[in-house]
Amino acid sequence: MNNAAQKLLYELISQQSPDEAVTWLDQQAGKYRSQPNNRIFNLTFSTIVRHFEKADLTLNDKTLQRAEQIRSGWDLSQWDVRQAARTYWLLQLSADSFEEYRKVLDRLFATADMDEQVTLYAALPLYDYSDQMAYRASEGIRTNITDVFDAVALRNPYPAEYMSDEAWNQMVLKAIFMGRPLYLIQQLDERRNPDQARMLIDFAHERWAASRPVTPELWRGVAPYLTEEHLPNIQRLLEQGDKLEKQAAALAIKESENDTLNKQLANYPQSDKELDWKTIGIRYND
Amino acid sequence: MMFIDPHIHTSSRTTDDYEAMQQAGVVAVIEPAFWMGQPRTQVGSFQDYFSSLVGWERFRASQFGIKHYCTIGLNSREANNEALAEEVMELLPLFLSKEGVVAVGEIGYDDQTPLEDKYFRAQLELAREMDMPVMVHTPHRDKKAGTSRSMDVCQEHGLAPSEVVIDHNNEETVKEVLDRGFWAAFSIYPHTKMSPERMTAIVQQYGPERIIVNSAADWGISDVLSVPKTANLMKEKGVPEEHIRLTCYQNALDAYGQSGQMNEADLLTPELVDQRKKFSGNSILRGGQTPRVDKSGS
Ligand SMILES: [Zn+2]
Repeated sequence: MNNAAQKLLYELISQQSPDEAVTWLDQQAGKYRSQPNNRIFNLTFSTIVRHFEKADLTLNDKTLQRAEQIRSGWDLSQWDVRQAARTYWLLQLSADSFEEYRKVLDRLFATADMDEQVTLYAALPLYDYSDQMAYRASEGIRTNITDVFDAVALRNPYPAEYMSDEAWNQMVLKAIFMGRPLYLIQQLDERRNPDQARMLIDFAHERWAASRPVTPELWRGVAPYLTEEHLPNIQRLLEQGDKLEKQAAALAIKESENDTLNKQLANYPQSDKELDWKTIGIRYND
Repeated sequence: MMFIDPHIHTSSRTTDDYEAMQQAGVVAVIEPAFWMGQPRTQVGSFQDYFSSLVGWERFRASQFGIKHYCTIGLNSREANNEALAEEVMELLPLFLSKEGVVAVGEIGYDDQTPLEDKYFRAQLELAREMDMPVMVHTPHRDKKAGTSRSMDVCQEHGLAPSEVVIDHNNEETVKEVLDRGFWAAFSIYPHTKMSPERMTAIVQQYGPERIIVNSAADWGISDVLSVPKTANLMKEKGVPEEHIRLTCYQNALDAYGQSGQMNEADLLTPELVDQRKKFSGNSILRGGQTPRVDKSGS
């Protein structure tokens, strides 16, 4: 996986960067391979900012598919050229053990500016020792910087695959707190769990008590665990909610497969055609 | 008049100092990484110190309308702990490309030990490799020979004199530094180093080219207003205004501007002070204080 990812990134940055920059990167890679030491590794990582632009990657469907084949869930759609170059470099890191590997990366994380942090977190699914870095993802979601949070939580296959339920639930709740679009969290449906449903409903009550709006996407996390006891919430949505909230309530009830709730739904005929969660997310957030 | 103080350790100064500097016309400062008065024992202490130079301290300065730049380096005193120095050498490249870092510094000799020499040279190599200017701290003892040696070593490692600022000069060292094409900086320090009177005489004798005035203010007895005070004295003594502008503003900008990290445009359009802002959730204000908020046009 690592080699194929390197190759793809190298092609992408070569297409969109001056020859001088690519030559420089080749030279650094040559130096590092012949004599791997942290000084060269760190120097190259930090100096990429001077050689590669923060310009959007030009991507076509074929490239996006290739990324998906190399690493399922790898989503390049928001990446920039500099990020691709930095990630290419990160994948050069050679270490004999996870301890060594971790030591170098921990230093990079600890000294990174915002853009570097975004790169480091978005690369989580690609690292050699990916499976041992869940602690890093949990650390990442504690940030208050939106871009950094997004790099971990959105368009990234890592959290769903490696995070514990506790960390995962915190991430989803914090995404709602920060007003982030939930539909961009990968495997949101697969990772739903009863604890999460309870936390989300509590959150909705808090917001309603303060007369503040609740994202309709919240009900996606709750849907399979809805029962009769949630009837008042559902009625509130169906009666007082806006168009999207009504759609969300209807969708959540259907997914709940709870008879009582489904019967209630018949009292509130939906005028619009039924939407899916992704469409609700897009309409709400854009 | 606008001033730059291109050598001041603001981390050890108070917010009153920032206010006084801004009122006296200081628009930008450069804070060189140095030692803290007692030696650090862990590489993590360096990491946090460097992080604060590119992070919190820059934010703090901005809250008083002052642009904060810094230099990053392993100082000569702490170069004498070899195991630690090796770790710091791995750390330096991670900070040198950060926004607002204008040079490798302050580096050079203190006691002129072999280890000081080793890490001075290693950092000159780093500066060359990363194409950064260098700020050289010259020793207090054996100053004249130490200054010559510092310049020799810089040239040995392929650095052009125009990329190197030799700091803490005096009447004994200035001629050679200027003759060899280096920048010559002077630290105006109460009691020791250099006084405004002597500084004025030096500018009168040598002219303003490549001469830079700074306060080197730190945790010791020092004066954050050294640059504006020296400028005022020069004016009183009839030094042409253009010479004052060069030595107390422009030359520092030209020398450290070579990093690509310090642009005059940023200094001419100062950010409006908004003390309601926060850095990683922390504010410079303490309970009950009223934030200063400048409005454009006021
Ligand atoms: Zn100093």
